[in-house]
Amino acid sequence: MDAKFIKLLLLGGAARFYFCRTSLGTVIGNRVEFATPLNSHKRMQEGIFLLQNGIDPYQGDVVHETPLILSALSGLFRNFPQFLPVFYILLDIFTAALLYMMAQRFVRKKQDQQNVETKEYATDTTELQFSGSDKMDIPELVIVAYLFNPLTVLSCVGMTSTVFSNLFLAAFLYCLTKGLLLPCLLILAFETVRSFYPVVLLAPLLLTFSGRSIRSGFLISLLFAACCLVISVANFFVLNSWNFLDGTLGFIFYFRDLQPNIGLFWYFFTEMFEHFRIMFLITFQLNATVLYLLPLSIKLRREPLLLATILVALMAVFRAYPSLGDVGFYLALLPLWKRCWKFMAHGFVVFTFFIVTLSMMGVLWHLWIYAGSANANFYFGATLAFSTGQIFLITDLLFAHVKRDFCLFNGQKILIDGEEAKIVLK
Amino acid sequence: MGLLSDPSISTQSKLVDGLARHVRKVCLVLYVAGVVWFFCLALPEFNHGTYLSENALSPGLVYPEIRVDANRLAIQLLEELHRERTNHVSTTPHAWIAAKMNEFGLETHTHNYTLRYPFGGGKEYHGKNVYGILRAPRIASTEGIVFTAPYRAASSVHTDISPSVPLLLAFADFARRKNYWAKDLIFLVTEQEQLGMQAWLEAYHDGDRVPDANRTYLRPGNLPARAGSLQAALNIEVQDLEIDYVDVRIEGLNGKLPNLDMFNLVQRIMAREGIASGYKQAPRKKRRHSQSVYEQNLRGMLSMLASQASGVPTGNHGLFHRYRIDALTIAAARRQTHATLKGNPGSAAVPLLKAIEGISRSLNNLLERFHQSFFFYVIVNNDRYISIGDYMPALVALVACAFVKAYLKWATLPSASEMEAAAAAASAAGSESELPSPGEAEPDEPFDLPYGSVLIYLVATLAIGYLCNVLPLQQYFLEIPMGAAPLTTSVLSFLSLIGFILPFVVVLPPGGLELLHVAFLLIYGCAMIAIGLLNFALGFFVAVLTVPLVISLETSEENTKSSFRNSIRLLTLILNPMMIVYVIVLAMTFYQFPELPMQKIMLRAATAAMDASAYGLIDSVIYGNFLYFVVSTVLLPLWILCWTLALSKRRDYADYLDFDEAPSPQPPAPPAQRQAKLKRN
Repeated sequence: MDAKFIKLLLLGGAARFYFCRTSLGTVIGNRVEFATPLNSHKRMQEGIFLLQNGIDPYQGDVVHETPLILSALSGLFRNFPQFLPVFYILLDIFTAALLYMMAQRFVRKKQDQQNVETKEYATDTTELQFSGSDKMDIPELVIVAYLFNPLTVLSCVGMTSTVFSNLFLAAFLYCLTKGLLLPCLLILAFETVRSFYPVVLLAPLLLTFSGRSIRSGFLISLLFAACCLVISVANFFVLNSWNFLDGTLGFIFYFRDLQPNIGLFWYFFTEMFEHFRIMFLITFQLNATVLYLLPLSIKLRREPLLLATILVALMAVFRAYPSLGDVGFYLALLPLWKRCWKFMAHGFVVFTFFIVTLSMMGVLWHLWIYAGSANANFYFGATLAFSTGQIFLITDLLFAHVKRDFCLFNGQKILIDGEEAKIVLK
Repeated sequence: MGLLSDPSISTQSKLVDGLARHVRKVCLVLYVAGVVWFFCLALPEFNHGTYLSENALSPGLVYPEIRVDANRLAIQLLEELHRERTNHVSTTPHAWIAAKMNEFGLETHTHNYTLRYPFGGGKEYHGKNVYGILRAPRIASTEGIVFTAPYRAASSVHTDISPSVPLLLAFADFARRKNYWAKDLIFLVTEQEQLGMQAWLEAYHDGDRVPDANRTYLRPGNLPARAGSLQAALNIEVQDLEIDYVDVRIEGLNGKLPNLDMFNLVQRIMAREGIASGYKQAPRKKRRHSQSVYEQNLRGMLSMLASQASGVPTGNHGLFHRYRIDALTIAAARRQTHATLKGNPGSAAVPLLKAIEGISRSLNNLLERFHQSFFFYVIVNNDRYISIGDYMPALVALVACAFVKAYLKWATLPSASEMEAAAAAASAAGSESELPSPGEAEPDEPFDLPYGSVLIYLVATLAIGYLCNVLPLQQYFLEIPMGAAPLTTSVLSFLSLIGFILPFVVVLPPGGLELLHVAFLLIYGCAMIAIGLLNFALGFFVAVLTVPLVISLETSEENTKSSFRNSIRLLTLILNPMMIVYVIVLAMTFYQFPELPMQKIMLRAATAAMDASAYGLIDSVIYGNFLYFVVSTVLLPLWILCWTLALSKRRDYADYLDFDEAPSPQPPAPPAQRQAKLKRN
């Protein structure tokens, strides 16, 4: 814990606190890009109010937060509503701190691994290897990317519950690097029951903890299922009803709310004939979960954290109700792969994509909803381009990693017949 | 798939390097392509004939039933109104209008509003609108159509359009007798030009909202009666009952347009009644065969875009667009030539009344809001249009210059070795010993670009722009007993002066200029896209003017002649937003008063430009016109960045200044500089 780390945390907190005191919070709380049906602050308030009045929040179609979170926060919401922004800010800062520690641990591990393998590396690859200063630089970059990314700042200012999701994911990644199996399982199970998609993170977990043995993998999976069951039962006891399952997981899976967001679901499902709905639901949900899981797990079996990063990113693109807060979270994980950046060819293009599409989203939303002259197609065009940009980023990261891995052992300058070699992927 | 999975190991692409060497040529090609595409749009092959796509409108399906008795009523009312006008020279005869509406059996109400004028110590103006509702016999009051006529007092400086009120009342009397209305009809007479209309619309839509006393300048009050959600509106401005032609005006606030179907509908009905009507219709002069079709089309396009660009509505209809109500104005001009065309005054207004009846019956058929046809279009001719898909490529090609250049700049940003060489050269040449730290990591480390200082610089310039928007409305400035125009201009010119000085005071660390250049290009591109989507005309004109400068800007000192650099600096100075506004106003003044001596014209243009900047500000706070915001908060910061890049002051020889952060602009005392700002005349 050095002074700079504390300073950064304080600065990030101060920035959030400043924006909380402006009217920005309500604006962001109403923007579809940040507040989805799943994470909006308004719905959380509604759920807590219903819970306090002894009404099952899940009978209506507004609340999609788990009962445990609702009951845990109900005291805070009722008694100290003026401190809520501070609470959210503290959680966000805690997330940043967890990411920082996770990054430190990760770099240390990498360096250890490097020390073992160092003889096998090619000669001209020092810039691909983790250097001494990375131990400080990478965690710092991670924390800066999390604390000062406008997307996470605004998501926190708007008090979306993405703040919780990010905290849980960060805690999961931290426990994963630290090798704490049980907390890892519990956090993952909790987040899975909350928002379903993190179930894919079981893959990096298995890769980390089970080693090569299928039996222990099977055992861990069983344990995970048990954890999920325990948490569901705990949720059950809050209201003594299973309604919450349909209100949270069912709501996510069946995609009942067609409110526009930055994802790909809403447009297709508004356009679709009703009798194809089930088929496309399954297709879309498969795409968001298991489609990339197996090939990526096989390819990245030696890099569970990279697998986790990419899965989190894919989740942010393909999930049913994505928000910009999710995007901000995985962007903060990119500095972990700083040594691959050399091979990331599309960084600038992706950045341009991001700022152009984000500014267009605001304009087109205005034209569609307020001015009434544009329509849903315009807005969806912008979000589609945004998703495309994200896909570019993810594939770029993957290829950069593959190239780095190759070059690390084979050298960066490979000439065949006097011409520069190309890697053929087969 | 090659795009995503480029198999080469090296990160340097030959294509990019090659292109980077010819970045100007590439951009120039794009620029020329965009402009050429725009000019091509006037060719008949590139635009389409208009058609009605909303079938519910079915224009002209019913025979007009309005007869000559309505015309007689209009004439009689006009005579009465003229008598009233002798008593009410500078006010509206509210009582007479309300009495007539009551007499015709309309549900008549009046609406009061107050304008709290912020400048010059603050004054209050009061106004009053009169409106009558004809409840639909066929349905509950869920939807409505508005017919409005602006009333101008006899003392007004504008053209007399008082016959609109009798025409409106005569039509109201006719409509009262019919039982087929499926929508409530509102007949509204507003005063004080657009202010009354804006107040009425605000009162109609959020009259029950409690206004924030400090922020709102127009207090619309509330309405005693409403008529459901408004579907469409027709604004009538008639100079005389005997008309020559009808000019259909469509441009609304911020360049928004009504649905193309509405325009087509009006054109069809007018054609059926045999009225010469059209977009930007002008009195028929001597036939001039010199203009080819292409030239006519191009003139039509450009004049439409020019009137759209300012964002000021061309009539009261333009304010409806903000509430998603499609509206347009039919402005009828007085018949000039009595000698050849001897019309019968007893039935002179019948065609126009029939047209209004036809339009209202078509609107009455609407099952839902206008949504079928285009909202984004450019009219080239009365029956030809260009849709958004056809005109957007022109703007996209212009904006693409910025992005292409940004990418190529980024790809060729100075690498570590070059930077070190430059640093070594600088330290050898200058007396100063050391450079600030960022470069001195390990030798293999890529050179760290000064992201932080560039970011701070960007924020500082944006803050200057933001202050332009906020500062003139601060309480302590408003209390100064000074007119709106001098106040706004002095604040604006002070802030642009700060922007002018900023690059002299703050010198970015090495690599900062190149990074700033990339950032500038990206921000410029995004801003142009956003402006172009909201108001194509404004975005396109700004892009056409500024893209050449953006292309020619260069920060590197090698292989550019100093004369070229100086001419770019001069160009940047000329393209200052305030200068552009002044030049536009100057051109308009010259056009209007060609007989005046040059000196006088320049002086007059200066005061006009100052007034224009104040109008822009008032427009933005009362009507929500964003032109002022765009010029002060988007274009001015961009200009400051441009100016910084054109100057290219480097740390090498100005090291000793050691200003790392930009000074935040303090609230200024009223300075003496005067410069012109913001157009709108």
